[in-house]
Amino acid sequence: MPEPTPVLELSGVRAAYGRIEVLHGVDFVIPPASVFALLGPNGAGKSTTLKVVSGQMQPTAGQVRMMGRPVAGASTEALARTGVCTIPEGRGIFPSLTVRENLRMVTYAGVGLSAVEERAYTQFPRLKERRRQVAGTMSGGEQQMLAMARALTTNPALLLLDELSMGLAPLIVEQLFELVAQIAAGGISILIVEQFAATVLEVANLAGLMLHGRVQQVGTPAELHDVLSGAYLGGVDA
Amino acid sequence: MTTTDQGAAPSSRLEEFEREINELKVRAQATGPEGRLLILGAVLLVAGLVLIAVAWVRASGTNDFNDQISYLISGGLGGVGAAVVGCALYVRTAMSRYLRYWLIRMVYEQRAQTDRIVEALKK
Repeated sequence: MPEPTPVLELSGVRAAYGRIEVLHGVDFVIPPASVFALLGPNGAGKSTTLKVVSGQMQPTAGQVRMMGRPVAGASTEALARTGVCTIPEGRGIFPSLTVRENLRMVTYAGVGLSAVEERAYTQFPRLKERRRQVAGTMSGGEQQMLAMARALTTNPALLLLDELSMGLAPLIVEQLFELVAQIAAGGISILIVEQFAATVLEVANLAGLMLHGRVQQVGTPAELHDVLSGAYLGGVDA
Repeated sequence: MTTTDQGAAPSSRLEEFEREINELKVRAQATGPEGRLLILGAVLLVAGLVLIAVAWVRASGTNDFNDQISYLISGGLGGVGAAVVGCALYVRTAMSRYLRYWLIRMVYEQRAQTDRIVEALKK
């Protein structure tokens, strides 16, 4: 059986902030309907990779392909319109608006507020209870749920999650990752960038270890599990 | 392990995604249009000043009134025009960069302020 066209493929991607190059040739492939966990310590270039994929940064070399087509140079808005959805680090919600008002902000995609609310509340019943609450006053986990609800109601094809677990209790993180697995089961491909590996490996199909601006190793979570502790402690050579 | 089937049949959403990606207009990679405008502005400004200088040297080197007039028009006026357009382009681009930075700064400040209020309310 021929391999399905990967939803996302990065080959030899380099990117720089001004003259400082932070990605020195990133390669990985995300097959359809799978969860890819990009792991690595702080400063490895994970968030920059996500910026390149979402079109917020242009690579200086290499190729970014979606469904087999090079997309480097496409604007963030154009990519978002096709279904590339980013949930940035720090959640990316409007803290001073209520839950309902936050959901109203996604109606730009042409879906009515009632339809958006219905989808969001079915997937995240907790948000229904909080719909009149100012988003910034909710707990971290609930804010992350709101960010995910907003993303999902735009009917994404590729979801990019940046540091989903940051600042959240382990139990909440576990619940959120269960949601991620459910979302992937629905046919959406997901790229998760994470510093803390253990929980994300439970839901991922594939994982990549990133160090010093390069993906050092790609494999199944089981294959990467043993390498990880060494990498975080500086055991893997760049 | 709560994993999903990697080889799941491509959903209709995936096909739609593929079609939309194929319809995307991808422009060639290059420096942003703003960077080019800034460079163009600076080049026009310098070129204008050079033209004025050349026109002045040539006009002062001849006693022929007709020649002086032609230097004045082609070099002097052309130079002033190029310098004014270049200066305007440069200032416009530099200002928009600065104002964008200012806007981002304000948004950042506002977010930090909201975080501080939320933090205070939690206490």
